[in-house]
Amino acid sequence: MRLIQAFKLSPWRIHARTVGFFLLTLVVVLVVASVYLSISGLAANAGLDAYRLDLKRLDLEREIAHRKATLALITSAPAMEERALSMGFEKISPDDAIYITVPGYTGRRAMVVAPPPGINESGRQLVKSVYRESLWDWLFTGINSLGSGFLGDGS
Amino acid sequence: MKKGFTRYHFLGILLSAFAVLIAVQMVRIQSSTHADYLDDWAKEYGYELRTIESERGYIYDRYGHLLAGNKEVYEIGIELQFVRNPAAISTTLSNVLGLDYKKVFNAANTEYVPGKQVYITLTDFVEANKIKELSELKTQYENNNPYGEDPELPSLRGLTWTAHLQRIYPEGNLAANILGFFTYYDRESGAGYFGVEEKYNTLLAGVKRNVMIPLDPYEMQEIPTAPAGASLVLTIDREIQRTVEEILDNAVKTNGAAGGTIIVMNPNNGEIMAMASNPRLDPNAYWENTTIFPAGVPYNKAVNQVYEPGSIFKILTMAAALDAGVVTPETPFTDTGQIEVGGWMIYNWDRGAWGSQNMIGCMQHSLNVCLSWVATQLGPTQFYDYLDRFGIGHRTNIDLAGEEVYPLSVPGDPMWYTVNLATNSFGQGVAVTPIQLLMAASAIANEGQMVAPHVLKSYIQDGQQFDTTPQVVGIPIKAETAKTLTDMLTISLEEEASDALVEGYRVAGKTGTAEIAVNGQYSSNKTNASFVGWGPVDDPQFIVYVWLEKPSTSIWGSIVAAPVFRDVVQEIVVLLNLPPDEIRMSMKEE
Repeated sequence: MRLIQAFKLSPWRIHARTVGFFLLTLVVVLVVASVYLSISGLAANAGLDAYRLDLKRLDLEREIAHRKATLALITSAPAMEERALSMGFEKISPDDAIYITVPGYTGRRAMVVAPPPGINESGRQLVKSVYRESLWDWLFTGINSLGSGFLGDGS
Repeated sequence: MKKGFTRYHFLGILLSAFAVLIAVQMVRIQSSTHADYLDDWAKEYGYELRTIESERGYIYDRYGHLLAGNKEVYEIGIELQFVRNPAAISTTLSNVLGLDYKKVFNAANTEYVPGKQVYITLTDFVEANKIKELSELKTQYENNNPYGEDPELPSLRGLTWTAHLQRIYPEGNLAANILGFFTYYDRESGAGYFGVEEKYNTLLAGVKRNVMIPLDPYEMQEIPTAPAGASLVLTIDREIQRTVEEILDNAVKTNGAAGGTIIVMNPNNGEIMAMASNPRLDPNAYWENTTIFPAGVPYNKAVNQVYEPGSIFKILTMAAALDAGVVTPETPFTDTGQIEVGGWMIYNWDRGAWGSQNMIGCMQHSLNVCLSWVATQLGPTQFYDYLDRFGIGHRTNIDLAGEEVYPLSVPGDPMWYTVNLATNSFGQGVAVTPIQLLMAASAIANEGQMVAPHVLKSYIQDGQQFDTTPQVVGIPIKAETAKTLTDMLTISLEEEASDALVEGYRVAGKTGTAEIAVNGQYSSNKTNASFVGWGPVDDPQFIVYVWLEKPSTSIWGSIVAAPVFRDVVQEIVVLLNLPPDEIRMSMKEE
């Protein structure tokens, strides 16, 4: 004769456990959904920001160009001459020129506004790779870096 | 415990039914006929077609002064869908911008047809200050009449403006003959014309292309951009250019000349420091081009026009003869006032006989008879071989658009006769551009090395500055020959007490007066007056070319062109920080 355990969970305990499992599942789902929703929202926001910033960039580029042109107009040769004359300066004649030797001075240098070739920054990515990689990329990169950390690179 | 249908069951069924309804609705949306419409709508509005265009590159002088840039201007238009009060728009634009009221009113009253008639351009290239005025009015009206709901109150709803860039030349007509111009009014296919704007149009322009930009933020990738066109740094010095232009304009005016040109170059590396040409155009108003330069008038006389140079060409003949060893500075020559070459009699400029001379005297008095004799001593083969080495008959390939060249007739050509040897020796029957002769003369100023004239010092592209390398394009004569001829020309000027002499500085140079052929006959009262000179003779830092076309106060180069050379040198030595020879020598000794 088999022994039957003389114990049975009371119905309210079964209900409580069922509801508990259900609620736990619901919470997990809600947490995951919230995380996805949050990430989606951030991504959408970032996308809109990128679009807005691009428009802003175009505006700024135009503004920079305009200000350069305005500055050039203000400092144009006729404007500068007029200003100099109004301030009491006079044009020098060769007879009035005094020449002195300044050790180390090699005269006016021509305009240099950018580095010469050799310092190549054209291949630089505008968006960092961390913003481009997927979850899997990130995971594998992490695993690889861990692996190389354990193995050592021998250097 | 209570059995049967409880309120919990009811709640469960209700929530389940709600969940099922949601699922059903999702399926219905996905599979309904509206789904296709929504899909199409998303495709149509999910992307923006944008034309990305590089900003046209800047042009600077050698010290970074902006000679050509871009300023912000606006296109004004009407978005028909949003117009509330056409009369207010018309009145405002008429008052602020001076636009025609009726024309604007008709445009603002145009019926809005979705997809077909949505926007009308009213005007373009409106300055930023005008837009500020319009913007303030629009805001004011909007505050008083939100959304333009009250038709009795003014509203500028529907009036829009879009910014874009317009080419600007802040220095006005300064160096206009070097810069050229950009036809900015043609927003679709504007291009550079003349000067560096044309020569480097591709480099300056950058790229222009249409791209699709996703508006779905989830699909937003790195938005493609068009890097700005390359910027150019010219060899031009703004101060020298301005000074030279003033001197040229003054010389043309006071001498009653038809026009002229002055070029200042560094003979050591071919950098053009200034290149003035008269007349000039303000490239900001480039459409006046056809008025200022009617047919036959070149945009830049320094490179776009050939002419018979006259006696300044004698420096090449003498350089060739000295280099070939045919003559020395002391070689005697008895000038009888005429010489026969190829059956034609050649005379001096004054039809006089100058008696016993040496080669220095021949150059000093600019004797056609003597130089013809020198050319005959040299012989046609050697003479034309040297001219070829000096680049005569070839383009200099200066980096300015539209360089002209006139072919040099040589023995064997149908148009060449023996007398050409004589006439060519003193610069008649041969045509050159000023830049061509300047390049040839640079060999004499630069120890026999002829440098390529150029105006581009460096260019800036993709954030890097690339310098150009000066090029020696030939060594037509030996260094000793160059020095000997420079000394001869210096002595010639000094003994002649030329108007080209500059106090404190030893310079070498040669005048030229060339009669102009009119209807096949040389006219004695219409000439081209020229001067080419360089200095300081012991270490030349500049070479200056002056050409005045058809001066009316005097026909002679020594009277009209030589003083212009002096005026230029007097100014540029200060701008180049070149002390007088005596001080410079003492500084060197220190």
